[in-house]
Amino acid sequence: MARLRRQADSLLSAWRDAQRLAALADSLEQVRATAGSDTIAVGGLRIIANPSPLPLTDAAERAWPVIDSLYGSAAEDLPRYPYIFRAVDPDSSVRRTVLHVGVEVPWDLDVRATTSLLLTTVTPPSFDAALADWLGSALRPTLRPQDEGAAVFIQLVTAPSEAVRRCFLGDIARCKDVLQIGDSTGWLARWYVTPAEREALVTGSFTDYFARGATAPTLQNCRQHRDDACTALLQLLPPGSLPRPLGQAARLVLVREALRAGGRDAYRRLVASPTAAIDARLSSAAGTDFDSLVARWRNAVLAARPRPLTLPWWAGFAAIGWTAFFGFCALRSSRWRL
Amino acid sequence: MIHMFRAVLYTQWKWSRLIVVLGTIAAFAIPLLSVQGAARADRGALQAQDLLRSVQSWGSLYPLLATALGLFMAMAAWAPDHRGRHIHALTLPLERWRYVLLRFTAGFVLLAAPIAAILIGSSLAVLTATLPPGLQAYPIALGVRFAFAVFVAYAVFFAVSAGTARTAGIILAVIAALILAQVVASMANLDLDLFGAAQTALLLGPGPLAVFAGRWMLVDV
Repeated sequence: MARLRRQADSLLSAWRDAQRLAALADSLEQVRATAGSDTIAVGGLRIIANPSPLPLTDAAERAWPVIDSLYGSAAEDLPRYPYIFRAVDPDSSVRRTVLHVGVEVPWDLDVRATTSLLLTTVTPPSFDAALADWLGSALRPTLRPQDEGAAVFIQLVTAPSEAVRRCFLGDIARCKDVLQIGDSTGWLARWYVTPAEREALVTGSFTDYFARGATAPTLQNCRQHRDDACTALLQLLPPGSLPRPLGQAARLVLVREALRAGGRDAYRRLVASPTAAIDARLSSAAGTDFDSLVARWRNAVLAARPRPLTLPWWAGFAAIGWTAFFGFCALRSSRWRL
Repeated sequence: MIHMFRAVLYTQWKWSRLIVVLGTIAAFAIPLLSVQGAARADRGALQAQDLLRSVQSWGSLYPLLATALGLFMAMAAWAPDHRGRHIHALTLPLERWRYVLLRFTAGFVLLAAPIAAILIGSSLAVLTATLPPGLQAYPIALGVRFAFAVFVAYAVFFAVSAGTARTAGIILAVIAALILAQVVASMANLDLDLFGAAQTALLLGPGPLAVFAGRWMLVDV
C-alpha cells in the first residue's frame, strides 16, 4: 500500500512538472507569436495582430455589439481571452515560421468576412465542459438567428422520431426529452418511440457497425422487423453515440432564448454553477421555470418557419416581361423584313 | 381577325396535338406520382422525410417538362412554314407581324391544357395524400410557376425558330466567343469568370431563366 502511495505521489509530482512545463511553453509561444504585434481594443474585445491591411478595427466595432448582446455583463471578462491573429499574404508561397498560438488570416479579407471571423472565433467566457457537452458546440453569436430557427423548424417537422413530432405538436414533456434535458436514462425509448423508427435507425445509420461479428445475426433479425433485435443492437452502442433526434441548433436556440429572457446577467448566471443540472442552469439564466422556457423555445422555432419556395412577387412580372421580349424578337425577326 | 385566329389555332392544333396530349398526360401524372407511396400515414414519423425526398426527386421533372413543351410547341408552330419556305405565309393578305402574333398566341392557347393539367393533378395529389404535421402543399404556386416556365420556354424557342439561319449563326458565334474568352482567360490566369457571370445573369434575380431555377416542391415545410 505504501509503495503504491509513493508511486501515486511520484506520478502526481511528474504530472505537475509536466503542467508547469506546458504552461511555460505556452507562455513563451504566446510571447513569440505576439512579438511585434499591435493590440486593438474595442469594447471588451482585445485583438493582437501584426500590422496589415486587415480591417480589424472596423470589424471589431461591428462585432462587439453582437457579442455584448449575447454574453451581456459577462462580456466584460473577454479581455482575458484576446484574439491572436497573424495576417499573412494570401498569394505568397514563402514558408512562414510555424506558430502554435493564434490563427493565421489572409490580409485581404473584407470587413464583413473579418467580422464573421471575430464572431465565430470569440472565446465564450467561463464556458464549462458540461455545458459544451450538452450543447455539442461552443456558444457563440450568430449573424443569422432566423436561419438557425428555421433549421430547427425543419428538424422538428422532418426528424424521424415520434417524440420530435409530438414536441412539434405541443407536448412540452417530449420537447424536454428530445432536447436531452432531465433524467438521462432510457433515451432510446424516449427518443425513438416506435419499432419502425428503431429499425430505420439501425438499418440507416449502423448497418456497417453491426454487420460483422457477434451482432451480425441480430442485425439480420432486425432487418426482418424484429423490434427486440433492433432495440438490443441500439442498446449495445457506446454511451453517447445514440444519435440525438434534434441537432445542436435546437439546443443553441434554447440557450439563446434563455439568455434573451434573462437580461444582461443571464449568461453569468448560466455559467455560475457548472455542476448543476442543465435545466436548473437554463431556468436560472432565464429567470423563469423550465417548462415556460421550453414553451417559449417552441414558439420561437414555430415563428421561424422558413418561407415556402414560392416565387417572389417580381418573378411573375419578370417572366411575363421576358415572354413579351422574346415574342417581340420573333415579330421583328429579319425573316419578316421585306 | 377572330376567324383568322381560329384557322391558325386549328392548323397549329393539328400539327402539335400529339405534343399537347402527351404533355397534358405527363403534367397530370407527375404530381400524382410524386406523392404515391411516400404519403402513407402508417409510416409515422418517418413519413415526412420520405415524402419530401420523393417530392424533391420528382420535382426536377417539372422544369424539364416545361422546357420540352416550349421547345416542341415552338418547333411545331414553324416547321410547316419552314418546309414550305414561308411561301404560303407571304401570300396571305396579312402583315407579317400579325401572322407571327397569331401563331404565337395560338401556341399559348394550346399550352393552357398542360398548365391546367398540372393544377388539377397537383390539387388531386394533395387531396389524396396524408400530409404529416408541419408540411404544406403548394399546388397553386407550383401551377403558376409551371405556367410562367412554359411561357418563357415557348417564347424563347419561338423567337429562335422564327429567326433566320444568320441569326442562329450570330447567337452561336456569341456563345463560342464567350467560351473562347473564358478559355483564354483561364490560360492567362486572369480572374475572369464569364460562365459564372452568365449563369448569374440568366438564372438569378430577374434573369430570363430564373423561373426555372431552384427546387420545385409540391409539398414543403
